[in-house]
Amino acid sequence: MNLSPFTIGLIGVVGLLGVGFYGLLVSRNLIKIVVCLQILAKAALLALVAAGQAAGQIDLGQSLALTVIVADTIVAVMGIALGVQIRRRTGTLDVRKLSSLRG
Amino acid sequence: MVGVLSLLVIGLPWLGAAVIWLAGDRRPRLLHGLAVGFSVLTGLAALAMLPFASSSASVRIPFGGVLGDFSLVPDGLGVFIAAIAAVVGSLAVIFATDYMRGHNEQLSRFYALILFFIGAMVGLGLSGSLLFTFFFWEITAFCSYALISFHNDDPRAVAGGVKALIMTQLGGIGLLAGSLLLYSYQGNYQINQFLANAGTFPAGVLGLMAFGCLVAAAAKSAQVPFHSWLPDAMEAPTPVTALIHAATMVNAGVYLLARFYPAFQGVPGWRLAVMIVGAASALLAGLMAVAADDIKRVLAYSTISQLGFMVYAVGSGAIFASQFHLLSHAIFKALLFLSAGALITSLGTRDLRQMGGLGKKMPFVQAVFVIGALGLVGLPIANGFFSKDLILEGGLAGGPAWLYILMLFSVGVTALYSLRLVRMIFAPQAGNGRGPEPTHDGLPAMRVSLAILAVGTLTSWLVGGPFGRMLATTLPAQHLQAESTWALVGQILVNPFTWVTLAVIALGFSLWAARKYFARPAAVLKPLAESGLGFEWLNRQIVSLTQRAATFLQRFQTGQLNWNVAGILGGLILILILLAGVR
Repeated sequence: MNLSPFTIGLIGVVGLLGVGFYGLLVSRNLIKIVVCLQILAKAALLALVAAGQAAGQIDLGQSLALTVIVADTIVAVMGIALGVQIRRRTGTLDVRKLSSLRG
Repeated sequence: MVGVLSLLVIGLPWLGAAVIWLAGDRRPRLLHGLAVGFSVLTGLAALAMLPFASSSASVRIPFGGVLGDFSLVPDGLGVFIAAIAAVVGSLAVIFATDYMRGHNEQLSRFYALILFFIGAMVGLGLSGSLLFTFFFWEITAFCSYALISFHNDDPRAVAGGVKALIMTQLGGIGLLAGSLLLYSYQGNYQINQFLANAGTFPAGVLGLMAFGCLVAAAAKSAQVPFHSWLPDAMEAPTPVTALIHAATMVNAGVYLLARFYPAFQGVPGWRLAVMIVGAASALLAGLMAVAADDIKRVLAYSTISQLGFMVYAVGSGAIFASQFHLLSHAIFKALLFLSAGALITSLGTRDLRQMGGLGKKMPFVQAVFVIGALGLVGLPIANGFFSKDLILEGGLAGGPAWLYILMLFSVGVTALYSLRLVRMIFAPQAGNGRGPEPTHDGLPAMRVSLAILAVGTLTSWLVGGPFGRMLATTLPAQHLQAESTWALVGQILVNPFTWVTLAVIALGFSLWAARKYFARPAAVLKPLAESGLGFEWLNRQIVSLTQRAATFLQRFQTGQLNWNVAGILGGLILILILLAGVR
């Protein structure tokens, strides 16, 4: 069977989304959570490129993807920095022990 | 010309509010002057607009998109509501220059909010787009809340303000739902287009809008079962009470019902529901007024009761009578509240039991208060007589007889509590004689407002004919018939039911004279009436139910990231399934 590039892209997107959401659902380590968020963002990035290619506006999709990379890096840096601070202050990275958002 | 005027009547008070807000509190005399200047100019502009009433839009500003067109339609109802808001507003501001003496530290906030309110109320009357009516409606609710809680170091004032805000929001939701439904079926928010094409709407949608409109009106006009915010709103400074909670904002509900009556009258059960809400409010609030001992609470209950008369009139199809009574009531109730304000500043108390024997010491206030009470009871010469009889006449013609008898009973109760009020304040033998001594008999600026309103109470019925003609020519959907003032007066005097009404009023008066025979049942009923006839209990139940539901739902807020992600993911999947299903 032969798959179009768009379908291959979509399969990648769904796969990445699955990995990211699975990680968010099960992981308790803050660093892992940041990594999973990154995977989710990469899924969105791939979707942008694939959609741009399918719509015939590949340049638009790619430039949006570049913007996502920039914004996404900041998220990663902030998340890691927060993790470092939390580890220093509380001595743990386990989000279940950190939950003070309880109603 | 009329376009400029109608923008001016909204813009002037708002400009005044901004100027006063920016001027700060340092120079109170300047603030008094600015407030009086702007409000009197607004009043004059609103009066100048009256002859130009027409049913076509004077201003139309397209906002585009989902906001639609902002339009001002200066038809009879609109310019009438605008004129009442602007004129009573200016009189209340004039009164406030004396009333607020000694409250210099918050003066700019006070005047800014009042002027902001006047502009919004005018906009509410003139707006031809239901969405913008909703916006103005919410601004008036906000101003009402902020002014009830004006003395924000007094917990009762804050609680009263919050209560008023929450309960009038219920009505706001009804109005918003109505405007969104209108948009989804009509593609814009223009009220006149809706009134012309209401027959083409699906019956279910029309019914939903009609009853949403009734809830909105009941909440805004403090009708049963949403009435209990109004007595608690009495913590506001008295000029505010006279303006917002007697003469203008609480009329917005009646205005809304009258405006949409042509569209909703065919909805099954709607007219009867409106009449029952009005009659229940008129009667229950009247009974509560008999028991209250705070002068402002008595007047607040009486306002609910009189608004009930207007709502009843709209339900029975007597649009003109309801608007005519709205005019009368705005004048005499503003007069009563402002005289109560003069009494309160003079005595330093609101408790009726500490008053008594003030007739000799405060002859001017007594004279104007009695004139206001004449209007409230509905005795001849005063404006209330003519408008109330028109309402009862219309109610008998357009509604069931048992509701008419209930309304007659309310008329008797009105006479009873009005006489009790006047006697408790002014009669020589009333009170224990140990109450505070009055310090003045109405300060100069107060007297100006009171005198104008007293003259208005005695003469405003003379404009009945021209007012009816204005409504009839500019409101095609309502199918009103214009009559001259003298034809109206003749019609009222010839009608035998007018004399029945007068007999009931006499009966109400004689009840007060015979009160010592009713001492024992009254002593049993008084605590019941003071607690709001169980409606306060109902309010508390609703509040506690809401709080318990919130506590229960807190359990689902675990604070665990994984659960939150699972929730988000579940919602996402649900939306995807729904979208796929719609497809």
